[in-house]
Amino acid sequence: MKIQFNINGKAVSVDEDARTPLLWVVRDVLDLKGTKFGCGKAACGACTLHVNGEAVRSCSFPVEYAEGKEITTIEGLAKGDQLHPVQQAWMEEIVPQCGYCQPGFMMSTAALLDKIPNPTDQDIDDNIANICRCGTYYRMRKAIHRAAEIKNTPS
Amino acid sequence: MKKVSRRRFLVSTGVGGGVVLGAMYFGGCGIVKRKIAGYANTAESPYLGNTKTPLIWFEVMPNNQIIFSSSKVEMGQGVFTGLAQIAADELDVEMGQMEVRHAPSQTGNVDRFATGGSTSINSLWTPLRELAATMREMIKNHGAELMNVSVDKLSTNKGIVSGENQSMTYGDIASKVSEWKVPSTPSLRNIDQYKHIGKPIVRVDLEDKVKGAHIFGMDAVMPDMLFGSVVRSERVGAKYVDADISEAEKMPGVVKIVKEPDFVGVIATSYNAANNAKHKIKAQWDVDKVWQSSEIESMIEVGKGKPVVIQKNGQPNRFLGEQDEFISSEYRSPIGAHAQLEPNGAVAHVKDGKATIMMSTQVIKLTAGEVADRLGIKEKNVNIIPTFLGGGFGRRLHTPNAMEAAVMSRAVGRPVKCFFTRQEEFQNDYFRPPTHHILKAKLSAEGIIEALEHNVSSGDVMYGSPLVPNFAQPLIGSDIGAWRGGMVQYGAIPNYQAISWRVKLPFATSWWRSLGLLANTFAIESFMDELAILANANPADFRLRHIQKDKAGDRLKKVIEAAVEKSGYRDELLSNGRAMGIAASTDVNTPVCHVAEVSVENEQIKVHKVTCAIDVGLAINPDQIRAQCEGSIVMGISAAMYEEMKVVDSVLRPTIYGPYKMALMKDAPKEIEVVILENDEEPGGVGEPPLGPIGAAIANAAFRITGKRNRTMPLQT
Amino acid sequence: MKIYGTLFIILLLGIGSFVGFSNPPRNQEPVQNTTQAFNTMMKVVTHKRCMNCHPNGDRPRQGEDSHIHNFNVQRGDDGHGTAALKCSTCHQKANNDNSGVPGAPHWHLAPISMAWEGLSDAEIARRIIDTKFNGDRSIEEIEKHMTEDDLVLWAFDPGVNNEGIPREKPPVSEKDYIQAVKEWIAGGAQIPEQ
Repeated sequence: MKIQFNINGKAVSVDEDARTPLLWVVRDVLDLKGTKFGCGKAACGACTLHVNGEAVRSCSFPVEYAEGKEITTIEGLAKGDQLHPVQQAWMEEIVPQCGYCQPGFMMSTAALLDKIPNPTDQDIDDNIANICRCGTYYRMRKAIHRAAEIKNTPS
Repeated sequence: MKKVSRRRFLVSTGVGGGVVLGAMYFGGCGIVKRKIAGYANTAESPYLGNTKTPLIWFEVMPNNQIIFSSSKVEMGQGVFTGLAQIAADELDVEMGQMEVRHAPSQTGNVDRFATGGSTSINSLWTPLRELAATMREMIKNHGAELMNVSVDKLSTNKGIVSGENQSMTYGDIASKVSEWKVPSTPSLRNIDQYKHIGKPIVRVDLEDKVKGAHIFGMDAVMPDMLFGSVVRSERVGAKYVDADISEAEKMPGVVKIVKEPDFVGVIATSYNAANNAKHKIKAQWDVDKVWQSSEIESMIEVGKGKPVVIQKNGQPNRFLGEQDEFISSEYRSPIGAHAQLEPNGAVAHVKDGKATIMMSTQVIKLTAGEVADRLGIKEKNVNIIPTFLGGGFGRRLHTPNAMEAAVMSRAVGRPVKCFFTRQEEFQNDYFRPPTHHILKAKLSAEGIIEALEHNVSSGDVMYGSPLVPNFAQPLIGSDIGAWRGGMVQYGAIPNYQAISWRVKLPFATSWWRSLGLLANTFAIESFMDELAILANANPADFRLRHIQKDKAGDRLKKVIEAAVEKSGYRDELLSNGRAMGIAASTDVNTPVCHVAEVSVENEQIKVHKVTCAIDVGLAINPDQIRAQCEGSIVMGISAAMYEEMKVVDSVLRPTIYGPYKMALMKDAPKEIEVVILENDEEPGGVGEPPLGPIGAAIANAAFRITGKRNRTMPLQT
Repeated sequence: MKIYGTLFIILLLGIGSFVGFSNPPRNQEPVQNTTQAFNTMMKVVTHKRCMNCHPNGDRPRQGEDSHIHNFNVQRGDDGHGTAALKCSTCHQKANNDNSGVPGAPHWHLAPISMAWEGLSDAEIARRIIDTKFNGDRSIEEIEKHMTEDDLVLWAFDPGVNNEGIPREKPPVSEKDYIQAVKEWIAGGAQIPEQ
């Protein structure tokens, strides 16, 4: 079926089986490879992107539900050359190791900061439940606090 | 300064138009065996380059960028950054001028061994500097000719040769020279001359990773690519017999079903189509028996299988015989999964007797060989193009998936991308083997260990790998992977021994980050805590009193003292109800000591803080050393506290994250302090050593609160 | 259903003052003995497909063994999860056979006033019909909720799990359950003594 939506501010139209996970449409049809496949079971969070500003695990989100929605992926998180505060903080704290899970974490964090501008450690524990095998959680926590600071500082 | 070794250099023109300088490694095939055996005893890292093609090379581009072709792969450990720092200091260039790329296998500069074992920096430390220094001198010499200036009037800085009011960039010089003369290897820089080594330089791959722009194996594409999926049995020991494909063939998007003697797979126009069709294939499997976890556990038992004494000092048997009175404890660790986030896969294109494969692999050379063997073509006709790895952890030392993708591609004459589902990852892993340990000790009235013995029974680690062919096993003597970290590190104990018991399990077990180190250290360092308590001693002091007076002993002593000082280690309950636990290990010449601060509420252990002291020899990049320590601590917490695979009716379970319980953000300590100790040793390994002591440090801390000794991983069930 | 969350918050504020059962059902003459209907209904209500999202706490349960939901999933302010880990981060409006993630419209956790975990059948039934617990629903609204709501009826079409294995359904058919609920309510929503 034909499905139309905006991705990273750009209108797209795809012709796909309605049940195809949005993840595969984003990766293989729209060629945006920053959204990762980790488990296909909504368990690891590597495929997290935003649907109308909400964090969604795209491996478990049929493309048909994207109709008319605003989708944002890691490639659309920055505004032009200006990295998103979350990305800036990730740079400052040198968070990634292998880097595979990081886009999902950054997308989850961006959604968190939209809802809770100054998350406490408890908020972070309660909201960020993706999986990182390299064990970068310690730096991520620092980066999340730093991202909140950057985001809340008028430029 | 280490003597400059005998190397051969090779100069050619690169594809980008720059000059290429490569260094060769001398030594025949036998070196593989010797190096691995030597590795066991000395922890000196093997670097097993090719004898005919350069093992590392640089290409100087006309725009003065230096492309460094790395035979080691970047899997998160930061090796691209560390190697670039080392090279930049001898080349006299800025970090921004260095561009590090993976070397495809056809370029020849492929490590015969692997990227793993915390060996990359250590093994390349000397050859890389020699190559870089030679390159710098060669460019300077030719610069002297071009500028008509005596070479001793010239100096090099930021990729520019200058002197006598003249200057040329390396790129300028490289583009003007046609006949290169390779100088004899110049002497290497001293530590006080380093500009990049020792600095916390930002990872070279950072920005791309933050933008999601990195290409991992899963992201690789080739034009006109199809998607493949291979049917795998869920069951331990199942052998493929045949398959009914009639239903699957009719599924939408299916291009071809490939039936091979040993597997069946489907090729389709999309991943989803391939995966859906795969579920319609009815495969038959030969299964000899139904396995359960209880049977596996009873196989892994000290006393069963073949023992090898791997370490002996004094006469431990005089104190720890059947008729003697001694202290004894048993420890166990479970089957562990790699659970790396990027599934294993490959994109292969096989055409006209040649194969091109893009994938995440830690064993480029081995992968190429396996593909060549299967396709019946020469290895030089296989080009493995490594991508960034979405985690390695030893999982990608096994890469039969490259062969599967190649066979499928050959069947349709088009590129095929093929990768594991997450369930297949969990069920077809090359697991960390379960272990059983028996420790025995005789303690004197003065609280001194008179004799100590560690027995470890484990499934295969190194012996489970195609990197160690069967013929090499007798030479190595015993599975050094299984007993890594299993030797007694307290050399002042007069009588001690370590004994390794080998067990072959019915499912694949092999390399898992740090190999036996995690389980062996958990057992030995928990037992040391037990002994300290029996001796009525502070566990830190107790350890120190058993350390021998030599270089290794001094280094171990210093990390323990540093961790104690930084953490304020105390062996009684803290006022907030928390407690501290200490443990130390020495792995690949790198001693590490952790102090864990934990609380226990409702039987739930929480790790609040870990203080880590590590002696890395020369620190190349303190920031990434910290990162490896932090990551190892978190991965170690995950494995020691939560992770466990079980065999249920021959199926390895769980098959998904969640039920396979791993540390999440909430479980990671909010404080991690890393103290980096340095000395004049060569840079040591850091990717695995900090995993060693974490399990014991936590268990020892929890004991202070609960009074109950937990001798089984995972600690939190 | 949209106001459900708001009601729940109001209920939460006042809940401490309630002790047990304070709003008896309509006191009408029983038209028939509805014990059998009640028992049939309760076989569904107390099945894990329903109970997993009526926990006595802030953590949903999942699976055939009703383990605490993985990944530290929590109730959140409105029963729909936390800010960046909402139910809808993973659960959509229908079951997903690809991922094995179950789904139904407005997938969320029952309010804490409707926690059933640890209660007897009679105690659960009293909560169902008590407006102080059930979101101020009249008995008619309860009947509609229990027999027509997509999320309630999801129990009879629970999809497959992450390994593609069908989830266990309640031991009563959807039709028999709906009929039992209607019969029980028509009979005066009597709660048999146990």
